[in-house]
Amino acid sequence: MIAALLLIAAGCATYTSKMQESRDSFFGGRYDDALSGLDELIGEAKGNDRFLYRLERGRINLASGRYDSAIVDLQAAEERFADIEGTISIPEMISSTLLHPGKGEYQPENHEKILISNYLLLAYWMQGDREGAFVERNRIVRKLGMYVNGLSEEDRDELDIPFARYLAALLYEAQGMEDDARIEYGRVEELRPGAAPPAVLPRVTEMVVFVDLGRGPVKVSREIRGYFQREGGLLQGVFLLPDLKAPLVFNMGTGHGFSPDRLGVLFTFAFPQLVRQERFIRSCRIVVDGVEAGEAVLLDDLGRTTDTAFRKKLPLVLAKSAIRAYLKTLAQTKLKDKAGGAVDVLGKLFSAADRADTRSWQTLPAEVHLFRMETMPGGHEVYVNYYDEHDSYIGSSESVGTVLIDEGGKGIAYFPHGVMIRRSSD
Amino acid sequence: MKHALILALCLFILAGCGKSVTELDPATDPAEDADFSSADYFRITDTMKNSLEANGFFDRYRAEHAGEKPVILLVKSLMNKTDEHIDTRLILEKIRTAMIKEGLADFVDDQAFDIALDQLNMQATDLYDNMKAAKIGRFVGAKYVLRGSISNLRKVDGRETRNYMNVTLDIFEVETLLIKWTDEVDIKRASKKGLFR
Repeated sequence: MIAALLLIAAGCATYTSKMQESRDSFFGGRYDDALSGLDELIGEAKGNDRFLYRLERGRINLASGRYDSAIVDLQAAEERFADIEGTISIPEMISSTLLHPGKGEYQPENHEKILISNYLLLAYWMQGDREGAFVERNRIVRKLGMYVNGLSEEDRDELDIPFARYLAALLYEAQGMEDDARIEYGRVEELRPGAAPPAVLPRVTEMVVFVDLGRGPVKVSREIRGYFQREGGLLQGVFLLPDLKAPLVFNMGTGHGFSPDRLGVLFTFAFPQLVRQERFIRSCRIVVDGVEAGEAVLLDDLGRTTDTAFRKKLPLVLAKSAIRAYLKTLAQTKLKDKAGGAVDVLGKLFSAADRADTRSWQTLPAEVHLFRMETMPGGHEVYVNYYDEHDSYIGSSESVGTVLIDEGGKGIAYFPHGVMIRRSSD
Repeated sequence: MKHALILALCLFILAGCGKSVTELDPATDPAEDADFSSADYFRITDTMKNSLEANGFFDRYRAEHAGEKPVILLVKSLMNKTDEHIDTRLILEKIRTAMIKEGLADFVDDQAFDIALDQLNMQATDLYDNMKAAKIGRFVGAKYVLRGSISNLRKVDGRETRNYMNVTLDIFEVETLLIKWTDEVDIKRASKKGLFR
């Protein structure tokens, strides 16, 4: 029976494992594969994950230039997250405490809520809908006020989103609202010295290029699993620890080995771990009209923001995991004696299937880099050259963006992860 | 008796399974949350139209121009300074519809320019009967422009949202840039979500 339960446990996929294929396809620039994977996941998804998957699909649609679809997905997710914010679902609370932490509907981190508006802004702007982009700019500013401005100074520095502030400032500047632009650029400069422009120049023709580098960190489930039997004064058991290959066997008392006649207690303590993803690209330079115009500077370390948000929530997550582990152990010990064998079996089943909640927005980049230059009005061809830690050329973005800039206007190019090719002319 | 109860229970369950459609009045349908609602379009349109009439702008124009109606142009859209995606053009078009229906003003169709130009060019060719073709050079220029902006200030505190919205419209004279009429509508709305979902 124990073997059967452990088999069940092995079959329970976490959000991270379900997303792996689509995530790999997205970061490899295979957008169609990533989208078909996500379509499948959305079709199968229950209410608790559906809108998170739509968030992921919105990012992929944006990257692949399907701006209308990106807007539909990101707005649907944003609306749902706003609806459930600050509310409680009793059935979800019970099921996520007793059964699995992922049973509750996904509620995004604050930085994720802000980034939804960032990507919507880019989708509207790229689509040519400036009015729509200005509305998203206003939403970014409101969300920064709600989720960041009220934090302590230390938390604010760690959880602020310079990428969001920069986009807001840029659009204020493009609309001729210099004072508002100055406020947001000022904050960007505090957070990331050297990233903000030295002056607000709404009538200067400029190109701004945003580049995503690296994969954002993802959560994985780690479990401490144990099985023990108690007989009289004897307690013996075996523990499987996450980083220990060999099981840890203990025997308190003068044991005679495990008894096949006793079911014992199956114990699981599952907790999430945030894992930074390996990356080869360390820097990038922007090529404008065939000339390498300059290096893009780091604007936002989103991986660090994700890490900080994760660390801040971890004590609560661990406490919930401990309650879950305790309740499942209780079902197999004291409750079993009162309520019977069914409770014991359920306790074992849920214990075997226990996994940490690994949900998070997994198509986010690790970093966002920025390049800005004054240029001539008209169309400009832009692509990105990528370099490793030794500053050796790795490859270039396959996609070449065409940025159209009006006289005295601002042009934006955005390079998410895409297919990389080697350009012989470089 | 027992059968009747079972039948009533079945009917009760069935009634809950059916799809229901209710026709709502967009002018009075109450807002579901603190966001801009359909009733706001009507409220703004009515307030602005009444304000224009009370201002005497149309009467003065007719008196000064031998009973002629003023020709007005709508801007492409109201400047949307809110954090909501609102079809601001609809506000302007509803005002235009109301003014045309009441015979208060004539409007230049700013969005028909390209279509009209294509038609005029085509009708000037030999494909058309030149005697009956639309004549070139008869477009009427607008003397006034109706424009405006919509702004909001939203405060979210826990489950409660307060949204203050302001719509300001004005008509300016193209020749002089003088504002001939302006008015505003303020809407403040609060909504609170239930704790349980």
